[in-house]
Amino acid sequence: MNSQNIMFVILAVFIVLSSLATVLTKSIVRAATYLLFVLLGTAGLYFLMGYTFLGAVQVMVYAGGIIVLYVFSILLTSGRQEQLSRNTVGKVLASAALSVVGLGVFLLMLFKQNLFEQVAVLGAPSEPVGETTNSIASIGHVLLASGEQGYLLPFEAVSLLLLACIVAGLLIARKH
Amino acid sequence: MNNENYFAGLASGVKSLATGLKTTMREFFTKKITEQYPENRETLEMFDRFRGSLSMPHNENNQHKCVGCGICQMACPNDTIKVTSEFVTTEDGKKKKRLVKYEYNLGSCMFCQLCTRACPHGAIEFDQSYENAVFDRSKLIKVLNNEGSSVVEK
Amino acid sequence: MFDFSKISSWLHGFLTGYIPEWAAILTESVLVALAIITLYAVFAIVLIYMERKICAAFQCRLGPMRVGPWGTLQVFSDVFKMLTKEIINLRKTDMFLHNLAPFLVVSASMVTFACLPWNKGAHMIDFNVGVFFFLAISSVGVVGILLAGWSSNNKYSLIGAMRSGAQIISYELSIGMTMLAMICLTGTMSFSEICEQQAVEGWNIFRGHVPAVLAFIIYLIAGNAECNRGPFDLPESESELTAGYHTEYSGMHFGYYYLAEYLNLFICAGMASTIFLGGWAPLHIAGLEGFNHIMDLIPGAVWFLGKAFFVVFLLMWLRWTFPRLRIDQILSLEWKYLVPITMFNLVLMALLVSLGLTF
Repeated sequence: MNSQNIMFVILAVFIVLSSLATVLTKSIVRAATYLLFVLLGTAGLYFLMGYTFLGAVQVMVYAGGIIVLYVFSILLTSGRQEQLSRNTVGKVLASAALSVVGLGVFLLMLFKQNLFEQVAVLGAPSEPVGETTNSIASIGHVLLASGEQGYLLPFEAVSLLLLACIVAGLLIARKH
Repeated sequence: MNNENYFAGLASGVKSLATGLKTTMREFFTKKITEQYPENRETLEMFDRFRGSLSMPHNENNQHKCVGCGICQMACPNDTIKVTSEFVTTEDGKKKKRLVKYEYNLGSCMFCQLCTRACPHGAIEFDQSYENAVFDRSKLIKVLNNEGSSVVEK
Repeated sequence: MFDFSKISSWLHGFLTGYIPEWAAILTESVLVALAIITLYAVFAIVLIYMERKICAAFQCRLGPMRVGPWGTLQVFSDVFKMLTKEIINLRKTDMFLHNLAPFLVVSASMVTFACLPWNKGAHMIDFNVGVFFFLAISSVGVVGILLAGWSSNNKYSLIGAMRSGAQIISYELSIGMTMLAMICLTGTMSFSEICEQQAVEGWNIFRGHVPAVLAFIIYLIAGNAECNRGPFDLPESESELTAGYHTEYSGMHFGYYYLAEYLNLFICAGMASTIFLGGWAPLHIAGLEGFNHIMDLIPGAVWFLGKAFFVVFLLMWLRWTFPRLRIDQILSLEWKYLVPITMFNLVLMALLVSLGLTF
């Protein structure tokens, strides 16, 4: 067991415990805080694998953006009662069934792609991915390339989406 | 928003901010006015307009300018001043007021300077004394005219 | 120029000679963490003393003079006072979040503190997306401030936290875009490469001339707003909100906010000196070989600290000059003035770089 694996186990336990706390807590603000820990732990996993750009994006977009948005909207909307409603038997059963179905689909995909065998063949990825394959420059080139491997179209589609969001925001905020 | 207003506003804003920065930077290098009191007790000079406590200046012949008219006593909003005077007959047979005792209670004075403004002879003024703390309130009541002093003859 | 990586690689070699590699890395990480925390505390003390003295000088006063010679021990006595104070538990609040919030703020600030390049080879966190990582981590602190405001169960704290959140999120935009303009010039996001480049080719503020100077000024304004300081300190405006989001905190929990405020100031200044003023790179003037050689003899850490404290002085000058803004003035300053200017600046920088008009 090398240090890479030890770190992975620590992060995984941290993520699992935080996720459980997120869904089990009664307070909305606490749930958002635990979710922040889940997302930070995920970013830690990316850093562990050497995907620094992905890790930084995870921290920036999810921890810095989405969670702040959640907390902001919770603070702006709810009054004194930030407690969640009680769970009924039907709710518990429905969410249990959904979780089991989700786990089933996930495991099916893992087995179907023979992922376990591949991991067994390759062994654990102990070495971080090299700087050349995931450097910010190559990501930038791929993001703006229009060829076979390029992501220009999705990139522009996302910018169109953001433009639509800005227009919609203006429409809502405009004084009549 | 008008375009010209936008850029003119931006320019004037930057200019006024720069003026503010220049002012504080000048202040940064001026001599500091802080007085470190107990250390510089020997040399500390209070500024001219400081209102310490009321005093009645006497000249070298132990003479003051107070004629005992009591205007200051009437002007005082706090009844701080108590003027005791008596009538004496001068050599040429005239009756004249003479100051006997000028009592001033520092404890109730609010340093408004109404008494010094009201005085027609300029007999009283605020001095620059500032170490006025005492252990007993009775010590705050001061007699301002010296023992055996007389008024300046004109 | 002294290379700090010699020491760190010697230490690594020394440790791996006795213990397995993972244990050596763990030991080194603990050492680095200790170094960060120590530096953090030391810089907080230096900055608080500096702030008091400079504020006093701008107001024609002397500042602390009584405790120790020239008041140098004043901050130490304040720190001990803070450490001995009681941490008050509030009723009817979420104590878990209330106690967690200062740690979120201070740890986000510590991680950004670790991004600073102290010397050639002395980078604690350094990878190819350094600038982006710095921006990402600095945005985590907002969550701590919002949680502090909410969990205090106090309307002043909540208003302060809301103002702080709105302000920090808005000004992050300007910071990001000024940094983007400078990345346009450097072509790399790694702090070590940015510094190496400036050691060879000259400081970025000279290389990028007009747009770089513009970006520097906007960075200082937005950085001051990010630190909740200066004319932008309305999240904690004492006259209306008592102390804003940290009204209900006492003892060392308040101390963490105090620490984080001053260290964020230093981090902001350190980033400005890294990206615009060359970090540890000495001042070189082309053609003056003797002068350049003398400048090379000054250690990189001295250069870095000198530049950072110069920028800290600039930020304090701003703070003690201007009166506090209203929330609508702050937001209109950002969205109506700084964002258009930074966008224009970014395009201008890209144009100059592509035309080869930079040095």
